Amino acid sequence: MSGPGASKKGDLPDLLTAAIFIGFGALGLWLSRNLDGGTLSQMGAGYLPRAVSIILIVLGAAIGLKATRSASQPIEGLKLRPLLIITLSVIGFAYLAEHAGFVLASFWLVVAGTLADPGSRLRTTLLLAAGLTAFGALVFVKGLGVQIDLWPF
Amino acid sequence: MKHLKTLSLAAALTASAAGMAHADWPTDRPIELIVAFAPGGGTDVMLRTLAPYLEAELDAQFPVLNRPGAAGEITYTALAQARPDGYTVSSLNTPGFLTMQIERKLRFEPSEICPIARIVEDPGLFVVPANSEFKSLTDLVAYAKEHPGAVSIGTTGVGTDEHLAMLQLERSAGVDLTAVPFTGSNDAKTALLGGHISAIGLNAGEYATADHNSMRAIGQFSEERSILAKDLPTAKEQGYDVIISSERGLAARCEVPEEIRARLADAVDKALANPEFQAQAAKQSVPLSFQSGADWQAAMPARLERYRSIFALMKEGQ
Amino acid sequence: MNTFDLLMLGFSEAMTPANLGFCLIGALLGTLIGVLPGIGPTATIAVLLPITFFLPPLAGIIMLAGIYYGAQYGGSTTAILVNLPGEASAVVTTLDGYQMAQQGRAGAALAVAALGSFFAGTVATFGIAIAGPMLSSFALDFGPAEYVSLMLFGLLAATILASGPVLKAIGMILIGLLFGMVGTDQATGAERLTFGSIDLFDGIEFTVIAIGLFGFTEIITNLERSGSEGVKVAPLTRLWPTREDFRRAWPAVLRGTGIGTFLGILPGGGATLASFSSYSLEKKVSKNPRAFGHGAVEGVAAPEAANNAAAQSSFIPLLTLGIPSNNMMAMMLSAFMIHGITPGPTVLTNQPEIFWGLVASMWIGNLLLVVINLPLIGLWVRLLTVPYRLLYPAILLFCCVGIYSINNRIFDVLLAAGFGLLGYIFRKAKCEPGPLLLGFVLGPLLEANLRRALLISQGDASVFIERPISLTMLIATVVLLALMILPSFRKKREEAFQEEEA
Repeated sequence: MSGPGASKKGDLPDLLTAAIFIGFGALGLWLSRNLDGGTLSQMGAGYLPRAVSIILIVLGAAIGLKATRSASQPIEGLKLRPLLIITLSVIGFAYLAEHAGFVLASFWLVVAGTLADPGSRLRTTLLLAAGLTAFGALVFVKGLGVQIDLWPF
Repeated sequence: MKHLKTLSLAAALTASAAGMAHADWPTDRPIELIVAFAPGGGTDVMLRTLAPYLEAELDAQFPVLNRPGAAGEITYTALAQARPDGYTVSSLNTPGFLTMQIERKLRFEPSEICPIARIVEDPGLFVVPANSEFKSLTDLVAYAKEHPGAVSIGTTGVGTDEHLAMLQLERSAGVDLTAVPFTGSNDAKTALLGGHISAIGLNAGEYATADHNSMRAIGQFSEERSILAKDLPTAKEQGYDVIISSERGLAARCEVPEEIRARLADAVDKALANPEFQAQAAKQSVPLSFQSGADWQAAMPARLERYRSIFALMKEGQ
Repeated sequence: MNTFDLLMLGFSEAMTPANLGFCLIGALLGTLIGVLPGIGPTATIAVLLPITFFLPPLAGIIMLAGIYYGAQYGGSTTAILVNLPGEASAVVTTLDGYQMAQQGRAGAALAVAALGSFFAGTVATFGIAIAGPMLSSFALDFGPAEYVSLMLFGLLAATILASGPVLKAIGMILIGLLFGMVGTDQATGAERLTFGSIDLFDGIEFTVIAIGLFGFTEIITNLERSGSEGVKVAPLTRLWPTREDFRRAWPAVLRGTGIGTFLGILPGGGATLASFSSYSLEKKVSKNPRAFGHGAVEGVAAPEAANNAAAQSSFIPLLTLGIPSNNMMAMMLSAFMIHGITPGPTVLTNQPEIFWGLVASMWIGNLLLVVINLPLIGLWVRLLTVPYRLLYPAILLFCCVGIYSINNRIFDVLLAAGFGLLGYIFRKAKCEPGPLLLGFVLGPLLEANLRRALLISQGDASVFIERPISLTMLIATVVLLALMILPSFRKKREEAFQEEEA
């Protein structure tokens, strides 16, 4: 169909979709490998997970096949900085909240989280962290009774 | 100043690690009461009602923490990992605590958890819609004999009180019933009232607070009639060997010094004797039944064996 | 006494200064926790439950009920302003509400949501008063077979939700179904898809997925554009809805109210299903379905009306049968029981002041909420003018604390971070997360009821067509399917005709 010099084929977002669907389908099949399947009228624990996984794989394959034939489309602007920093700051919060209490965890979350934004300034960040931590301690922990220690001791 | 604080903190930590804080117990720190169920559930409301009375008895603080999940396993695991200094206690529920030892690989060692005191004993019973033709367990069994599998019993899942009761009735009466699992007893009640299932299993406490014009209990599964259902014949009286009741109490790590556990048990005993607490429990239809930790623990192995044999039968039937 | 006298009795009970005060406290507190993402009304009510011990029964219950429907109002605020659905029923509100906010029409979206909710709340409250017992018998007719048909219908309706290709929407629903299966299988007790982790034993919390896929992902993609500087909301054009907005919103509100009142009575996924299906309905009947997902006012009005109507009518099974239809109602039941009151038909006859007082207070509470919320809109909208670099760390913190507070479990926070990552990948693959959430909510209900139905019928699948309600819904599903396929047929034919003419 396409003449010489025409752009490459492959709808990348759709190919990624296919990969996700097939990936989850495969994961579902693997995780339910030891479960009892049963029959339609006497369904075992593994019946529906397997059925859903298989449909997902078929669907993924169909989308993928179509995507390789459609016009090229790129995946929009990938930037790892916000993705990594936000994810890591939340993971850090989780760790600190368990071992060091709310105050330190909240401070870390705000300070680390603002690093995801290239335009952040230290002074504002520290003020913001202090303000939000105080607000959180008062409203969540004291006011609404969220069951979390404030301090590490 | 700061140095001083750090020093005293370090000292306190060493002291408690060595079990030296023993003498001060329970006044120097709050005693955490971990509840294995979400806020608002029966166990949670009961323990939150009890906490202030324990506080008064021991002159200590009892903050309630909820660690719901995995039928209590998350809480028992947390308890087994807590420092054995008497500042962490948890709720303990049977048959869940026992049945989880049968089939599951647990993340804690059940023998490390010692009951402090039983607070509630709430027998199971079977309930049918008010317009049902079953007036007793005998009626239900007779019908099931003629129509194998046609009598459906709503339960709240595999290995729960209701399911164990149903399996015992099947074994004792030699009938074939169909267990229909529901997400909770409220879903089961709705299906019962809608006439979609024949009967459901409930606890006496739940039944006491349900609307008696729309449903009727046909037999209870305790050794003796519960204080909540004095007019309802037990399964034994009707000729079936079915015994199941849900017991709720408190537990601590076995490594907690004997003396501290005894004082806790004593406080529970006194709180339960308080007429004010009794009045509140009666309003919530909680069948109080104190039993010392030692007695409760002594009764557990026989029950575990009973459940084990029921589970084995269930496996065979599959 | 006739209904009117009883209603008057209710109002005289609800209007005492003390009860009015507790209603206000409840509504305010509800709005607050509704606005804070992740902090749900269930935890707050649990904390307040022991306090109600010391209040007269009606006052305590009025306050708790106020928290519940107040949270429904507050929940839509975060959905519209920052794309954060606090609970399942607010997911749909994000689809068009957040778009409206991005276009500078946050005020209009909030006002339509508040007024639509008020209207729906009023209708549903009177529905409870006039037809409560009748409606509850309708709920009882819903057995496992009926649920299966309803869930099938709901899942099909979910594909309409997405504005992208249908195949992707179906795939996302399937992934949602898989997530819904994580945990202990109810029927067999087997652990499924848990990786052997005890933390997944009870499955995944809805809020964890919603905050991960919506909240965290939104923050990451916003920052990606070019740091916080790139996040610019269109300037506020107008605080209130236009006449055109009202004209388009009111039929949607009417339909949403109807759907919500009926589906709210059903235990479990009622409220969620109501908001999802009313959105799908609007998109189907609209002359301009392409506008949905890009700031269509009907897309805010209908689901908001539906979920508030459902919030009110979910009281019906509790008040008339004594059976709570969801966690919140179970908590309300505890509140009744603390005072030794067993809700049900006996309360209706013996203690009418409790039932009618609560019903009247619900209407008053809804009125109070509109009065509180309309002036607040100005304030909320100003929140959008706060620079994003100050706003997003706050959202991040609120989300983390909110998730933790559900089960007091750090694991949930980590899981949400994982869903944030997954949501990011979905964005890059141009997959919309809405259908996934519906699959997640409805899937377990579908599976459980399918098994129950077949257990009860002893494996006979004809139950689904033998029961009238179930059959009706299956027919509706087929009709919907036909409607979905036909337009594309017609379009293709039209295109073919045009080519021939040309």
